[in-house]
Amino acid sequence: MSEGRPVHLTVNGTATSMDELPDDELLLDTLRWRLGLKGTKEGCRTGDCGACTVLVDGETTLSCLTLAREVEGTSITTVEAVARDPVGGAVVAAFAESGALQCGYCTPGFVMALTGLLKEGGRETPLPRLLAELGGNLCRCTGYAAIARAVELARARAP
Amino acid sequence: MAPFVLVTPETVEEAIRELARDARTPTAVLAGGTDLLLDLDEGRLEADRVVSLRRLPWRTLSWDGSVLTIGSTLPLRALEADPSLALRHPALLDAVRAVGGVALRHRATVGGNLGRSAPASDLVPVLLVLDAEVEVVGPSGLRSVEVDRFVRASRETALARAELIRSVRFPEPRPSAYLWQRVRPANDISQLSVAVAFSPSDRRWRIALGGVPPRPLLVPEAAAALGGPVPEEIEVREAAAVMAAHRSLVRDRRASDEYRRKLVGVLLARAVRAATRIGGPPR
Repeated sequence: MSEGRPVHLTVNGTATSMDELPDDELLLDTLRWRLGLKGTKEGCRTGDCGACTVLVDGETTLSCLTLAREVEGTSITTVEAVARDPVGGAVVAAFAESGALQCGYCTPGFVMALTGLLKEGGRETPLPRLLAELGGNLCRCTGYAAIARAVELARARAP
Repeated sequence: MAPFVLVTPETVEEAIRELARDARTPTAVLAGGTDLLLDLDEGRLEADRVVSLRRLPWRTLSWDGSVLTIGSTLPLRALEADPSLALRHPALLDAVRAVGGVALRHRATVGGNLGRSAPASDLVPVLLVLDAEVEVVGPSGLRSVEVDRFVRASRETALARAELIRSVRFPEPRPSAYLWQRVRPANDISQLSVAVAFSPSDRRWRIALGGVPPRPLLVPEAAAALGGPVPEEIEVREAAAVMAAHRSLVRDRRASDEYRRKLVGVLLARAVRAATRIGGPPR
C-alpha cells in the first residue's frame, strides 16, 4: 500500500524520485533492490550487526530499521560514494592499507560508521571512545585487531 | 512486512484526530522505529495503519533551571551532546549509551523507549529512580503520569486510545548511576541492570531493577536500608541482601535466577559507589 505520493531522496549526490514506493519499504531494500546499490549489506535485519549502516544527512543510520518514506527529502550517502568525501576517503584507504577485512561483508558498515563518527567528532575523538562507539558493528572473521589498526590510522589522517 | 498505510500528520492536533478516528483499524505509532519496525517486519505485530510522529515539534531538550524536559521524539544520540547531563543526571547518560549502537541511537527516541515498554529497557529503570513524569497529550488535553504508573507490563502502558507521549520531565538533578550486565558489552540486551539515585530534596535513595520480567521496577524496601547520601558499607550489604531475595530475579532465556541473585548485589554496590563519588563516575 502506498500514500501514492512520489518520494524524493538525494542518494550519493543524485536527486532521485520514486513514484511507486510502498509505505512499508525499508530504506535498505530501496537502496539495494530499487536503486541497485548493493554495497549496503543486509546482515541481521534486526539492528544488531551494523552491516546496513548508511549516512542520512551525515548521521549514521541503520537502513534495516528505517522506512524509506521516513527519510524523504534527506541526502543519503552509501559506501559506493563515501570515498568522494575526504574523511570517507581516508577511512577507505585505512581499511585497505591495514588489511582490515577478510570476507568483507561487514566492511561497508564499518566504513560508514567510522566515517560518521569522524565527521561528527573529528580526529579529537579519543581512540577508546571511537572503538567503543563502533560497538554497533559486528565482524565475524577478523577478530577486530586489524579493524582497530585501521581506526587508529583513519583517525590520524582524517582532515 | 505486512503492508500498511503510513500517515504523517503535520500537527499534534492532526495526529490525535488521526488516532481517534476509526477505532477498528489496527494502528501503530512510529517514532524512531528501531523497535516497532522489527516487530512489524517479523510479524509479531500487525498494523494496517502506521502514524509517524516525525513532523511533530517534539525533538526538544530544555532546562528550566534544574528541571529537565525531553521531547518524546528527540533521538537518544542528541542527549549525549548535552553538556549538563553528565553532571546532573549521570545515570541517564549511562542508560542512553547502553541503548544499541550509535547508528541506532540516531533514530531511537525517549518516547519510543517508554511507549514500547520493553522489560529490558535501559531507560525505564533510570526514569524510575529519577521520579520522571510522562507528559501525555490526547483528545482530552494534557496530563502527567509518574513513570511507575505509566509503565505497566511488557508492551503495556497507561496510554489511553489516541494519546501520545509528548515529553518526559525530570524534577531535580540527583547523584545517580546505572550499571548493567550482558553477554556482549556492546549492542546487547541487559541480563540484569540496577539504577540508583539519591534525592537531595527528600534525602532518600531510590533503587530500580531492570532486565527482568515483567517490567523494570522500584525496590523501596532495599532503598530504605541505604540511609544518608553516603551509605555505610553495612547498609549497602543489607540493601544487597534485600535485592537478592527479590521475586523478579527469575530464570529466563537471558540468565538463570542463581546468576541474577549473585549479580544483583555486585551491581548495587558498584552503582552506589559510583553515585556517591564526588562529581560522579569518571567517563
